[in-house]
Parts: sequence; structure tokens; C-alpha cells
Amino acid sequence: MRLKFRKGLDIGIPGAPRQVIDSTIPVERVGVVGSDYGPARFDILVNEGETVERGTPLIRERKRPDIAVAAPVSGMVEEIAVGARRRLSSIVIKTDGDAAVVFNTADTQMREGVRRLLLESGSWTSFRTRPFDRIPDPDADPSAIFVTAMDTRPHAVDARVVFERHNDDFARGIALLDQLTPAPTYVCHAPEMPFSSALGRALRIEVSGLHPAGLAGTHIHYIAPATRAKVAWHVHYQDVVAMGYLVRTGTLPAERVIALSGPGLSDPRLVLAPSGADLVELTRIHATPGDKRILSGSPLCGREARFLSRYHWQASVMLRDTGKAPSNWMMAALRHAAAPVPLIPTRALDYAFGTDLPVVALLRALSTGDTEGAERFGALELAEDDLALATYVTGGTTAFGALLRRMLDTLEAE
Amino acid sequence: MIRGLWERETIALLILAAALPVGIAGAVEGGWAFATTFTLALAVLAFWQGVFLFARAQLATGIGVLTALAVTLLGPQGLAPWQIILGVSFGAVIGEQVFGGWGRNIINTAVASLAFLFFAFPEAVTPEPGWLIAVSSVPGAALLVVLGVLAWPIPVGAIMGIATVGLLMGADLSVLFSHGAIVFGIVFLSGDPVTSSATPAGRWAYGGLAGGLAGLLGWAAYGVGAPQTIVFATLLASLFAPLIDHTVITISAAARKRRHG
Repeated sequence: MRLKFRKGLDIGIPGAPRQVIDSTIPVERVGVVGSDYGPARFDILVNEGETVERGTPLIRERKRPDIAVAAPVSGMVEEIAVGARRRLSSIVIKTDGDAAVVFNTADTQMREGVRRLLLESGSWTSFRTRPFDRIPDPDADPSAIFVTAMDTRPHAVDARVVFERHNDDFARGIALLDQLTPAPTYVCHAPEMPFSSALGRALRIEVSGLHPAGLAGTHIHYIAPATRAKVAWHVHYQDVVAMGYLVRTGTLPAERVIALSGPGLSDPRLVLAPSGADLVELTRIHATPGDKRILSGSPLCGREARFLSRYHWQASVMLRDTGKAPSNWMMAALRHAAAPVPLIPTRALDYAFGTDLPVVALLRALSTGDTEGAERFGALELAEDDLALATYVTGGTTAFGALLRRMLDTLEAE
Repeated sequence: MIRGLWERETIALLILAAALPVGIAGAVEGGWAFATTFTLALAVLAFWQGVFLFARAQLATGIGVLTALAVTLLGPQGLAPWQIILGVSFGAVIGEQVFGGWGRNIINTAVASLAFLFFAFPEAVTPEPGWLIAVSSVPGAALLVVLGVLAWPIPVGAIMGIATVGLLMGADLSVLFSHGAIVFGIVFLSGDPVTSSATPAGRWAYGGLAGGLAGLLGWAAYGVGAPQTIVFATLLASLFAPLIDHTVITISAAARKRRHG
């Protein structure tokens, strides 16, 4: 099946990465950040100073204790930071050695065995639900699983590079998903991918077009729209590769392929680094002089962070905007106001939107906090990433992604 | 934060660039009277933008220049300054600023001002802008369509609507595009991206409605070249624009539900 995406925008940001895996960058510190996993509360299972192996559970969700987050590296827990309302802020691990927990992969021919393996190894967090983009319940069944085997975000890793190295592990991961649930699996990939011919029961969807053609939200919208009753799961292809690796070796992989890019780097390229890697360490060697903003994620929808997010496979180094302050109060008042500037519908905005949902109506509902309208206009099918381009084209004055997240939290609580 | 191009002020400047030839043509045709009315209207708009900037933190926008131009081109002639001040103030405050400024309004500011002037001072004579205005609107229209600021289904739908009504009423369509008010109005008033429909199908319906109403008002009441025709047609059509969008969204949501279950 083919999905030809005619809209989308190509925004030229300098500093695109060479699509060659350069090397493994050893990082000294790795962080597991609590906010990556949504608003759920977590019990912390380790203490400062404790030694952990790759795969040791670090935190466990309080309401759904089967869901754990595992240490991405082996080493010593250096710092546990607790933030506002006693929520986990981050756990920092000082890396040391290559010890890994070996999980029992014997009964992966059975549904329950697969679930147990994914939950125990912390790989369950690879799945996220649409609507709401949360980690699914351990005993839930999706209406469909979408494997996002492509990435059209600016400066993202070309999936081809990963598939050339890890084709077998990807096929093993897909086979694991087959055991997990009877629901259909859709592998959404760019044209001409070097897949080994068999991907089990999975349906291959060839998607072509500009960003946001490669977002899970776009795929789900066109193939099997998600509703409250029909919950779809989506999972990134590198997480599927990691599942294949887990089945083959019984351990979690030590690293993922990450794109380092942006105008603040002298040599943007792909590297191997663990999930949660310290971004300052990763980018320090090749940063150009001057003030920088280091983003976890793409230049378009990344956020300033110290550690690479669980759900990001790229980091961007942007130049810090040192815009001159207006010379007097009158100029300042003419340029900025407390109230956000209204959006004007243009074709650029239509093209920035991956789905054929009514973009202007939806963005207006988000800006005015109209929960009912937002749900009617399709907010449940979207996540922050799907609105990043809309925020960008309208000048970045209103962060529609953040508004959507707030709206989704309200809708979820209903 | 990296930022794209299409923020409100960029779009305002593009629309002004598109309207520049019309402004020059209007100044050449209208002379001194054009200049005084335009300057007065602009001053009134700037005043109200300043008031709402400080009272309600609503940023000022350059689109006021287009409003002043439209009021000058299409408004009645020989009005006293207080009449212009009253009309433009009504348009600026009730038509735009109380909703939150350009981008949140539901009727075009110039349309609100002109409708007020036509109703309040019916005795004033309104001249019909001629072919020079019509011709000078075309390059701007092309620019806005290419840039995607003016959604092309709106002018095309409007022309189809007006032509359909004209054929039904047995009118002479060949002179349609020599009327400055109709061409300028379709591009810059009916085609205002803010107050028109924003769904693809809705834009056709909205354009068709605006054109159809213009045909009806033109051949049955004011005369097709009269500014009143396109102003009232746009006023009514933009009041229906939210309803059109609502209908289109409901229908497409129902169709999606049927398709995917």
C-alpha cells in the first residue's frame, strides 16, 4: 500500500547531518528524565551511590507497577533529583563498564511471554498510545500498531542507515510484535527501504512526501484513525530494532543511532550514543564558538534539555538568539504584547498540517481553550509533534504543541 | 526558537504590497480629495490601534493602510471629516478591535466602516471606481494567490457565483471586469483570509455566496459597479462564513466516521 503525501513543507535549516555513522561517543553521564513519561507518578527503586547494570529497573509507575523504566547504561547512580510536588525530575547515572542484565527470552513464542519480557526489560515504554501519547496499559490490546519506520523531521537520522546495519534485528522485532497482539501491524516506511523480504504479518505502507509525512500522527490519521474507543499504538523503528536485539541477546542494546545537527556544530553527523546521553558531552567536541542552545529533538520541535529524551533520536545545536532589546518602551510595546498575536490562515498553514483535519478551526479552538471544539476538530488524533510545523510557520509566537498537550490532559481527565 | 515567515505582520505587508498598484491608481484618479480622505482614515485607524494597544495589549498592525485605502476608494464622496471619522471609528472598534484585533475579527474592518457610511449617510453620492482600479487590482491578486495568502477558490467561486446570477437574470456579463469596485472588492474584501471561510470546500461555498449576493444586489438594486454591491455582499457572506465552515467540518467528520467506523 502506498500513501502519497502532497502537502508538507521543507524548511531549510543549516547544519543537516552527514548520513554516516561516525563513531560511538563515550558519555560519562546519562540521565533518565521523569517528564518523558507523562504525568504519572513513579516509585524510585534505586538509591544514590548504588551500582546499576544496563536493564536494571530504576523507576516503576505507582498506579501500574508492571511498567518500569530500565537503566540505559551500567554505572553508578550519581544523583536523584526530585522536582515540584515530589515528582521525579531526573536520575543521573555515571557510566562505568558494560554489565547488562540478561532477560529470559525463552517463551517469546507466546503472547504472555512477550509481554513479560517487554515489561521486565523496560521496553514497554517504547509504545505510546494515540490518543494522548501515553504508555499503554500492560494488559491492553491496541486497535493497530504503527511502526514509524521513517523520520521526516528536519535533520533526522535517515532510517536507511539504521536498516542497513540492523535489518535482522528489525525483522525480529516485528516478529515479536506479531506475537504480542492479534491487531494489525503497519510498518510505515519511505520508498525503497532495504528490508529483508519477510516482515511477518506486518503490512508495509510506503509513505512519500515532505514533513510531516513521517509522523505517526499523519500515518494513523490516514490509515486507521484513533479514537477513545479505538486506541492505536505507535513505536519508533529504533525501538523495534532494540526489541529484536533483546530477543537475540537477552540484553538491551547499549546505544542508538542519533543525529547531531544544527548550525552550531562544525561537523553535523550521526553517532552512536545511549538513550539519555548527556547532550553537552555529546556536542562539546564539535560545537562552534559562541552561545548555543542544545535541543533534545529536532530544530523544529526539540526542547532545551541536558539529557537526550527517551523519545528523541536526534539532538540539535542552535545558535542562541541574542536579539537586541528594543531601545525604548514605545518600540517594545509596538513589537510585543502580553496577548498572543492572532493567526492568519494561509496556504503555508494548510501545508504545515499532516492530516486533513480543519487546521484553522483546530488552532483557534486550542488558542481559546475550547476543549469541546478541539475534540470535535480532531485533537485526539494529534500530539505535540504534529503541530510543530504550524507553530513554526505562524512565526513561533504561539506554542500550539504546548496548548494541545494541556488540552489533551484536560480531555484525558474527563 | 526558529520561526517561520507567515506571521501576522508579514502577511499584512504582503497584502499591502499587493494593494500598492491600486493605491497609486486611486491617487492618480482621485487627486487631492483621495489624499485627504486616505490620510484622515489612516489617522483614525492609527488612533484606535494605539488605544487598544495600551488598553488591551493588542498589537498594532499595518493592515490598517489597506482599510484606509478601501474606505477611500469605495466610500461616498464629499463627506465632512466628522462623517469619515465616525464611519472609520465604527469599523475599527466594532468591526475589529473589540474582537481582539486583526485575525480575530469576523467582519472586515473596511466592510464595517463602509457599510456604516452607506447606511448612515445615504444622501452622499458614491462614485463607481472605473477600469483603472480593476486593472491595477489584478497583479496584486495574482501575487496573493501565488503566495497562498488569497485562497484561489474564493475569487474563482465569486466569479462563478456572480456569472451564474448574471446569466439567470439575463445581464450583460462582458462589462463585469471593467468595474473597479467588483474586482477590488473580491480580491481585498471578500478575499480577506481572516473573515472568509477556512476549509477547502467552505472557500468555494463562501466565494460562490459572496459572488451570488453581489450579482443579486448589483443587478437588482445598486448597479453592479456600485461599491455598495460588493460591500454588502461581502458583509453578508462573511457573516455566513463560520456557518459554512461548521457545516463543512460536520459533513467531513461524518464522512470520515462512515469510512473508518
